[in-house]
Amino acid sequence: MEKLLALAGKAADQAEVYSLESRSSSVDFENAELHDIKSELTSGTALRVLKGGKLGFACTRNLRDREELVRNALASLAGGVEAGFDLPAKAPATGLKTSDPAAARTKSADLAAECARMAGELKSRTKGEITAGAAAAEQTLRIANTRGLDVTVRSSECAFRAGAIFPGSASSISRVFKAKGPASMPASALDEIVWLFNAGLKEVAPAAGRMKVLFMPDAMLALAWRLMHGANAKSVYEKVSPLADKSGQKAFSPELTVVDDALDDSVPGARPVDDEGTPTGRFSVVEQGVFQGFYSDLNYAKKLGSRPTGHGYRTTMWGGDPLELKPTPWLNHFAVAPGGKSLRELVSLMDRGVILCDGLGPHSGNIPNGDYAVGVAPGLYVERGEIAGRVKDAMISGNAYETLRRVVAVGDEARPAFGGLFPPLLCDGLNVAC
Amino acid sequence: MLDTLKKFLAGVDADYADLRHELKKVTAVSFSGKELTGIGSNATDGFVARALAGGGLASVAFTKEADAPKALAAAVENARLIGRNIKKPVTLAPVEAVKDSFAPPLREDPRKVPMEEKLELLRRYNAIPLGHAQIASTAMAYADSTRERAFASTEGHEVRETLVTTRVVGEIIAREGSLSQNVRVAVGGSQGFHHVRGQEEAFEARTKIALDLLKAEPVCGGTYDCVLNPSLAGVFAHEAFGHFSEADIVETLPAMRERMRLGSRLGSEVLSITDDATMPDQLGFYKYDDEGVPVRRRALLENGVLTGRLHSRRTAAEFGEPVSGHTVAEDFRFAPIVRMGTIFIERGPHTLEALLETLGTGLFVLDAKGGQTAGEDFSFGAQYGYEVRGGRKGRMVRDLNVSGNLYRTLMAVTAVGSDFDLAKAGGCGKGQTNIRSCHGAPHVLIKNLVVGGA
Repeated sequence: MEKLLALAGKAADQAEVYSLESRSSSVDFENAELHDIKSELTSGTALRVLKGGKLGFACTRNLRDREELVRNALASLAGGVEAGFDLPAKAPATGLKTSDPAAARTKSADLAAECARMAGELKSRTKGEITAGAAAAEQTLRIANTRGLDVTVRSSECAFRAGAIFPGSASSISRVFKAKGPASMPASALDEIVWLFNAGLKEVAPAAGRMKVLFMPDAMLALAWRLMHGANAKSVYEKVSPLADKSGQKAFSPELTVVDDALDDSVPGARPVDDEGTPTGRFSVVEQGVFQGFYSDLNYAKKLGSRPTGHGYRTTMWGGDPLELKPTPWLNHFAVAPGGKSLRELVSLMDRGVILCDGLGPHSGNIPNGDYAVGVAPGLYVERGEIAGRVKDAMISGNAYETLRRVVAVGDEARPAFGGLFPPLLCDGLNVAC
Repeated sequence: MLDTLKKFLAGVDADYADLRHELKKVTAVSFSGKELTGIGSNATDGFVARALAGGGLASVAFTKEADAPKALAAAVENARLIGRNIKKPVTLAPVEAVKDSFAPPLREDPRKVPMEEKLELLRRYNAIPLGHAQIASTAMAYADSTRERAFASTEGHEVRETLVTTRVVGEIIAREGSLSQNVRVAVGGSQGFHHVRGQEEAFEARTKIALDLLKAEPVCGGTYDCVLNPSLAGVFAHEAFGHFSEADIVETLPAMRERMRLGSRLGSEVLSITDDATMPDQLGFYKYDDEGVPVRRRALLENGVLTGRLHSRRTAAEFGEPVSGHTVAEDFRFAPIVRMGTIFIERGPHTLEALLETLGTGLFVLDAKGGQTAGEDFSFGAQYGYEVRGGRKGRMVRDLNVSGNLYRTLMAVTAVGSDFDLAKAGGCGKGQTNIRSCHGAPHVLIKNLVVGGA
């Protein structure tokens, strides 16, 4: 890596090497039985060069020829991608505990045993088709640049999921649990799956209309992606952010607080720096309904004349290969702050409404404008504070910016889901078509 | 590379093992608004090992050639662990051990087109929407991707096939006051660079739709009879039905598997759905899947009756049905899974005018904007639509998202058009992204679709 950086540094004004080594194993149970084990042992290197205010980029998996990688990066300079920013010179020591060495010692058999336990319990307590999974992963990320930055982040994660599928569908009541090292799904999570699944066995056909909707963590993408788009410095630069003039304003319900805390090492994935080496921190997006401001990478911070916030990540909405992607502003540690209500209390607050356990199609619709419309997968219908049954063929739609003004209560536990950490979020007066 | 793969496979202690190597070369150019945000070429590569041992099947993805013995050993160990924990051992349907090297018939090889020309082409297309004051921004990306795949197995497979995909995909965002409207644009294909040349009209047409949407009314949520245009009907075939033709999805869902038995009536008499990646000159074309099995045309639904399914060797053996060659990986980072190739609704007898007349009152819904499925429930977005009254197209409406139930909706297809169109760019995300996932259809009339407005 040092040789590559030296080689690139000679040919460019500034250079950055990003290298990643990953090792993981994941076990899948389907229909309550071990079905598949997938493992990964991968690595790769990406190179960014800055020269004369232009950006060059190249990546490879097997670094067989350093000179070729540098040549590719230099060749892409010719395209003329503007880059007025400088790479960060150094990162402060944070003392983050991002890795648990025990994760590396986790065997497929250990993961399979936890899946068998979760699946066995759900099978004995529900009539669902049981799905479960467990994965252990460790990763070493190193970012070094010619301005003196050299950061290595070793991280580990053990992730568990369990779900009961309503027979005849592929919709499930499920939970995810993550830790930095070996762990097991909490009993309370399995109890909740059993409660919601059994309450949803009966199919009901309520009348359409405006009612309360409880967004469970897996359904939060429909709202989170839209808020992330609006709070993105890139959207401001392109003049497509509905939040462009809302900094410091009460744009949302006072119940809503959203933070992006890369330094929270109580959960897996904490990062002292982003994918460009910029120091991270606790970034407040919404504080009790007041919109706090925009997150940025190096590039858009420079364009807007603001400070980079440490949000340059090599990702897309659906993830993707970080080696092939260039950094873009992204809330990699998006978290809605928990409120004070248990899930049962939230349900009891619903005179009439739908618990949206997972939403189908959060990526469809007009994200720049904030509009969303998601199918229920599944949705549980609530009347007078009690779950009446499962509603099918329903669609919940609205504008995320308006919906987030209608938050009336927030659950007391932020849970990991795709896209962030979310507590259940209760909103009032949403449009349910069925 | 095949010799290297065979060398590593020679000593494997398994009932079956295979190794795949892929070298992926991607040339990409991207604009965000008027600014160039990326340009360059990259080559990445890697391996996937799979082993069938002791009654289980497991896989390992790895980067370095030197790790091959370790990866194969891990695959064997994990396969045996599976075997010890399942009631019915995994087997693979027997196939011929193909030895072949196949290069796609390219009309114009994108690898021979200079980078400057790709940049200029994209700049020109991007300038079309940006020439309008009400277009706030665009996101445009050109990419050509070449995957040189080599596959060998302990049964004697030696298959090489190169897949070349060329495309321009983008988003056009129109804005007036506080209202933003976005439409997608996609051109491309699997037979070369010519797919993306001369596409100015497509970009002009999409720009006009984005501008018109600023004046369109949001649709009122509710249940409507709808005519879907080919782009959207293709997504319907893919989302609402296609995923449940993928045997690996229904394999472990006993209740769905029971309902999806071959011979079951699932749809109305007028509805027939086929998957045929073998058709030449279309996005989804390939010859061999990532198990070295030649892809076959498969009639899935014939006049509403389920007649076929898409399989891996594992699921074909499990279901006792013929292999179909549909086990496909995104790239070297993934073990292959069952994927649709080119799925489409077969043509019917009606003109669009006749379909609208039969519709009477309802919605004419056009162009896909993402879709998703979870078992019997599906959902997809549409880019725009029109109210229809008395069989005539009325005012434009926006914010259309459609959701439905697989079984009810397939029965609710009441008329099928005589025209036909296939998608030019794909992006199915079943855990892995398949940019060659192709779908198509004629116009179709469906009763009682739940439409969510904003």
